[in-house]
Amino acid sequence: MAAERGLELVRELHRAAGGHLPPFRTEEMRQALEEMRALYERNQADVSEAKAGRTDLIFLIRFRHCCLLRNQRCLLAYLYDRLLRIRALRWEYGSVLPNTIQFHMSAEEVEWFNRYKKSLATYMRSVGGEEGLDLTQDIKPPKSLYIEVRCLRDHGEFEVEDGTTILLKKNSQHFLPRWKCEQLIRQGVLEHVLS
Amino acid sequence: MFVSDCRREFYDLIVTQRVLLLVASDVDALCACKILQALFQCDHVQYTLVPVAGWQELETAFLEHKDQFKYFVLINCGANVDLLEILQPEEDTLFFVCDSHRPINVVNVYNDTQIKLLVKQDDDLDVPAYDDIFRDEEDEEEESEDESDGSEPSEKRRRFEEEVIERTMKRRQRQEWEARRREILFDYEQYEYHGTSSAMVMFDLAWIMSKDLNDMLWWAIVGLTDQWVQDKITQMKYVTDIGILQRHVSRHNHRNEDEENSLSIDCMRIAFEYDLRLALYQHWSLYESLCNTSYTSASLKLWSVQGQKRLQEFLADMGLPLKQVKQKFNSMDMSLKENLREMIEESANKFGMRDLRVQTFSIHFGFKNKFSASDIVYATTSLMENIEKEGPETTNFIKALDSLSRGNLDKLHQGLDLAKKQLRAIQQTVASCICTNLVISQGPFLYCSLMEGTPDVKLFSKPVSLCLLSKYLLKSFVCSTKNKRCKLLPLVMAAPMDVEQGTVIMVGIPPETESSDKKNFFGRAFEKAAESTSSRTLHNHFEMSIIELKTEDRSKFLDALISLLS
Repeated sequence: MAAERGLELVRELHRAAGGHLPPFRTEEMRQALEEMRALYERNQADVSEAKAGRTDLIFLIRFRHCCLLRNQRCLLAYLYDRLLRIRALRWEYGSVLPNTIQFHMSAEEVEWFNRYKKSLATYMRSVGGEEGLDLTQDIKPPKSLYIEVRCLRDHGEFEVEDGTTILLKKNSQHFLPRWKCEQLIRQGVLEHVLS
Repeated sequence: MFVSDCRREFYDLIVTQRVLLLVASDVDALCACKILQALFQCDHVQYTLVPVAGWQELETAFLEHKDQFKYFVLINCGANVDLLEILQPEEDTLFFVCDSHRPINVVNVYNDTQIKLLVKQDDDLDVPAYDDIFRDEEDEEEESEDESDGSEPSEKRRRFEEEVIERTMKRRQRQEWEARRREILFDYEQYEYHGTSSAMVMFDLAWIMSKDLNDMLWWAIVGLTDQWVQDKITQMKYVTDIGILQRHVSRHNHRNEDEENSLSIDCMRIAFEYDLRLALYQHWSLYESLCNTSYTSASLKLWSVQGQKRLQEFLADMGLPLKQVKQKFNSMDMSLKENLREMIEESANKFGMRDLRVQTFSIHFGFKNKFSASDIVYATTSLMENIEKEGPETTNFIKALDSLSRGNLDKLHQGLDLAKKQLRAIQQTVASCICTNLVISQGPFLYCSLMEGTPDVKLFSKPVSLCLLSKYLLKSFVCSTKNKRCKLLPLVMAAPMDVEQGTVIMVGIPPETESSDKKNFFGRAFEKAAESTSSRTLHNHFEMSIIELKTEDRSKFLDALISLLS
């Protein structure tokens, strides 16, 4: 009654630390909205009664209104936080999300993600002159053109620009151009070696 | 073929290409790898580094990467076998081999296109001449064509007889040539030994390109010291190479002599030292170091009660109180530490240890960090052969590689602790082997086998540790035995490797003499013995004198070895 389900949703997001996106809880969302609708209907009924004279119902109406507001706040916080996480995913993973993560998003969130992608791409194209500037590269100012990386787990083959492939096997070390490795470093496949 | 100009024929070729580095698992290879990596990073050469511990891993790595790379650099592996036959590469693949193993396989020497050897020409190589070993097969074809001509029967018969005589003479010549060829190859490949350290070759390349740094010089020093610690090179060669490195050291480190312009204490500096031969003595107590260094332990015969008494006499002779000597070296009284080297040398001469001091280098950076080259060698070796499994074998390699950088002091200290444990384990095992007479003479060689229940036996399932153990054991045995003939025999040592699979690792080392040339014939001997008894052996290591075999085949293998060598 007192926005418990909404609170559950918020708590779940709070526990999922580190930008991780848990699955979209359609069922709980529906139940929370159901709860809000029930409260609203009862409030409507009571308001008409209160207008007719029963002033002691005003406190109950106010209480239900507060519950409604709380529910609204929880649900909006849930939805907005998820959108922020999805936005961070674009910067971390690139424009194609792995299937596991896409599975966790609702249809509307997927659409929002596509629109965000388009908007970001338009902006990047408009910045840096003719070809545009890829803002998702080099988030920290780079110190050198090539970096030494160590492979932390077997990743299979990895294609470099000129068509040649590198076999990323566990514990092999490579010396590659920085921008090729950034994605993989963020994903945890490669580790930057500082000597 | 040998590369005469390292820079033009090696570095300039690969500086625009992507290269695969295959590095063997010993400290010299690690140091050479570090130097080469530093050069590559300077010039933005894209490379991939794959550690390999044996022939099988080399083949696997090659098969995996052969589609992606055309240029391969092999460090401390590959010179002593026919690479092209083992790896079967494509026509346009190019191998650069920087290896200290000798003798270099003749196919590698005389192949002009695909194999380039980064070896200094002044290493005494004694490669047989080309005509003695290879012969073009054109002569055979001409004879068969002449037979079909000829019309008259008598002429034909005469010509036929002449041809038969010619052919028999040619065949006899061929057979003589082949017999001589076999002899030459046998003499050439019979003994295994080591040439100049790969790290020094790489440093030379850096110096030619004027890209050498103090750090690279230090790695070259560590590579050379590794060869000396593992007894792979003769004393003469060591002293010569030290002389070469000393010139570089004075070139890079001359600013310290001048009081006014000296460098800040945090800068790295290398100094030449005529230092004591005691292992890790600055990171341990002097007493422990005396007990656990093979030279002192063997000369004073520390496994016996007499020996312990002699150690006490030795310390008393120098005037060092026991309490001081048993505490950490850094906490010893300054007055004692100041003249320590000279004092020890004088007393050591009285006790029969004439070579207690050895020429070496030490590195100094910051106030606390002072390491001698042999310290680093021991630390890195024990990191690489660490038996505590924290991951697959290659993580140890990566850790050891990291510990060579000055920024990873914590790994270096971990390595030093492991090295102390290893040295103590070696000394205890040596003491128990000698006291229980485990070293038996089998005729042409001495044999010692470690039982499964021996403490720390797992440490000795790794090749380098087992080699160190065998060398120390042989030294101690030579000092302890009265049998003059046994003193000149080589040693074969066996230790259990993997209890579940029932395998044993076996190592053969040359005899311990004053002027030994460190040439080891066990590589070929093991091969022949394995063939003749069809034992299930695995000749996986780059050193041919280290093999693995099944425990059941051990006795027949040994019998074959005895009959082969006597």
